[in-house]
Amino acid sequence: MSELVYLYDGSFEGLLTAVAVAVKSPRPVHRVFAGRHYVPSLFATTLMVEGDPAQAERILSYLQEISKDAVQLAMQAFLSEDKDAANYLYEFIRLCLSRGAAVLQFHTNDSVRSLLNLSRKVDFEAHRLNGMLRFRILEDGVLYAPFQSDHNVIAHCAGHFQKRLAERTWILHDTGRNFALYWDTNSLQPADIDDELRAYTTHFGELPEHLLTDQERYYQHLWRCFHAAVSNPERENKLLQRSFMPRRYWHFLVEMKGRNRG
Amino acid sequence: MKTEEKLSILANAAKYDVSCASSGSTRANSPGGIGNAARRGICHSWSADGRCISLLKILLSNDCLFDCAYCMSRRSNDLPRATFTPEEIADLTINFYLRNYIEGLFLSSAVYASPDKTMSDMVDVCRLLRKKHLFNGYIHLKIIPGASRELVDQAALLADRLSVNIELPSESSLKILAPQKSRQAILQPMHHISEHKTGFALEAKKSRHTPNYCPAGQSTQMIIGASGESDLHILNLTQSLYRRMQLKRVYYSAYMPVNDVPNLPAPLSPPPLIREHRLYQADWLLRFYKFEAEEILSSNSPNLDERIDPKAAWALRNFDHFPLDINRASYEELLRVPGLGVLSAQRIVAARRVTAIREEDLKKIGLVMKRAKYFLSIKGRSLAPSSFAYHHVVAAMNRAEPASSSKIRHASKQLRLF
Repeated sequence: MSELVYLYDGSFEGLLTAVAVAVKSPRPVHRVFAGRHYVPSLFATTLMVEGDPAQAERILSYLQEISKDAVQLAMQAFLSEDKDAANYLYEFIRLCLSRGAAVLQFHTNDSVRSLLNLSRKVDFEAHRLNGMLRFRILEDGVLYAPFQSDHNVIAHCAGHFQKRLAERTWILHDTGRNFALYWDTNSLQPADIDDELRAYTTHFGELPEHLLTDQERYYQHLWRCFHAAVSNPERENKLLQRSFMPRRYWHFLVEMKGRNRG
Repeated sequence: MKTEEKLSILANAAKYDVSCASSGSTRANSPGGIGNAARRGICHSWSADGRCISLLKILLSNDCLFDCAYCMSRRSNDLPRATFTPEEIADLTINFYLRNYIEGLFLSSAVYASPDKTMSDMVDVCRLLRKKHLFNGYIHLKIIPGASRELVDQAALLADRLSVNIELPSESSLKILAPQKSRQAILQPMHHISEHKTGFALEAKKSRHTPNYCPAGQSTQMIIGASGESDLHILNLTQSLYRRMQLKRVYYSAYMPVNDVPNLPAPLSPPPLIREHRLYQADWLLRFYKFEAEEILSSNSPNLDERIDPKAAWALRNFDHFPLDINRASYEELLRVPGLGVLSAQRIVAARRVTAIREEDLKKIGLVMKRAKYFLSIKGRSLAPSSFAYHHVVAAMNRAEPASSSKIRHASKQLRLF
């Protein structure tokens, strides 16, 4: 019998539906993939699963019954955008059906462990970016932070800044996924970023000249001064610096501009 | 003088302060205010020496009256002097904070007038930030030894963390190297803060309107290698600071010769980075691994071995306690196994609650067996290769941690000369 592979559209709803359909499938299921992650194989039968809100809702409430952590795990798996996330979740839910909430403690099970690891990675990157986002203050006082991340952590970061800068208006812009969130001191909503601006910031890691106010330049300059002055040349350790702050994040960091070859 | 120059001078002078922690406080944002504190702390950047930057670490002034032998800013050194106005610091803090460069402010200062005057100016900076700018981010304030109790209390109610630098590990070295500072003047505010913090915490149980007194606790810093104290002396001191004064952290700073003074290592001699590294490891053993200072070192061998980490050294001295059965050993026992950290020990305890751990599971749980295998067994079988002699274990322990120490050796400019 040929392998059975379920595909979904890449949305959270699609993921949950596909996993639910796979769990219910009478035939043995081999894999569950997001369409973009799937490399066609000769011997597999693929089935595209349409997202079904009611089905997704049902499986979420099932996970909710198991434990709050299980729901959290499913969301984090989705946000990780790992190509195997859906497979892990599928195995995880199958285990849950027979073993209940104890599954969360199965550190020696491959799927459970991978899910826990993915969740940790997402949290870690979100935490890292909470520190390494750099806002640019625009002429009208809006704070704008372009960034790029491995996992989809913009919602985590927005939650952080919603508390921290509640009375300011700001935009977080994930340039890789081209998705932006705008906080108007009251509510969070998706925002459209001008294509030209996006192309410029993605390429140069900085705002175009005409948007950089004098004040913004001034504080960026002061920050670079501080960053250089506070380092101890006798203890220089660039390797350590890079292991905490990998190069791939430097592009949007004000203080690391032009140090790419350092 | 332009702000830019002042910033360079005063950040440069502050680089010898080690602490940059922004953790331990849960201060929330207020209506109309800016910022909050993150309990876990957040690092925002890393400088070229690999240290994290989470706070705007600056001095209010480097124009010092004191003449401490180990300090770059001492009076007899000829270097550019600068003093910030409170408004300048507030402006920098707010503007850096809004751009998410920093988590808050770390303010220290040279003693440019009387200790009271200096301290009161520092408190003014805090007050300006908290009351006028409604800043709720993290503030770490250095306490100037000799400042009045009232000022210390005001500081504690405005800042998140306070620290009094103990500077040198003993009274006698303090007398030689920092004659204007006395041990009494350093320990007294520390004691005062610790007592009041406990008092306020008791009060907070009765009323939720009790103000937060130094919510993130206090820390201190001492210089390693400028004076002759043994590591045992330093660890005992550290332990009593944690226990008696409830300190959150004790920082060590390898002495960097900045002045040519007869009593001190000559300029250009390398900072004792490896010793500092081993002391931090021992400090971790005290704080997270339930060790006692007397277990790590004794009066027979009062100094840490630079080739081997202190936990492995303890395990080798107490080799008869091992091997431990991974499925039976208590959490406390697991913590004592070289190569197992707090996280690994917790994972073992969690995993074996569901099912006994087998040899093939070890890697899956994420354990690194390089060192631990000599100290663990499963069902009565040691995890190490079939037969090994004690000296193999010693050699393995020596080899096990070349990464961090060689990194230090590699990256330290002075050491690379040899």
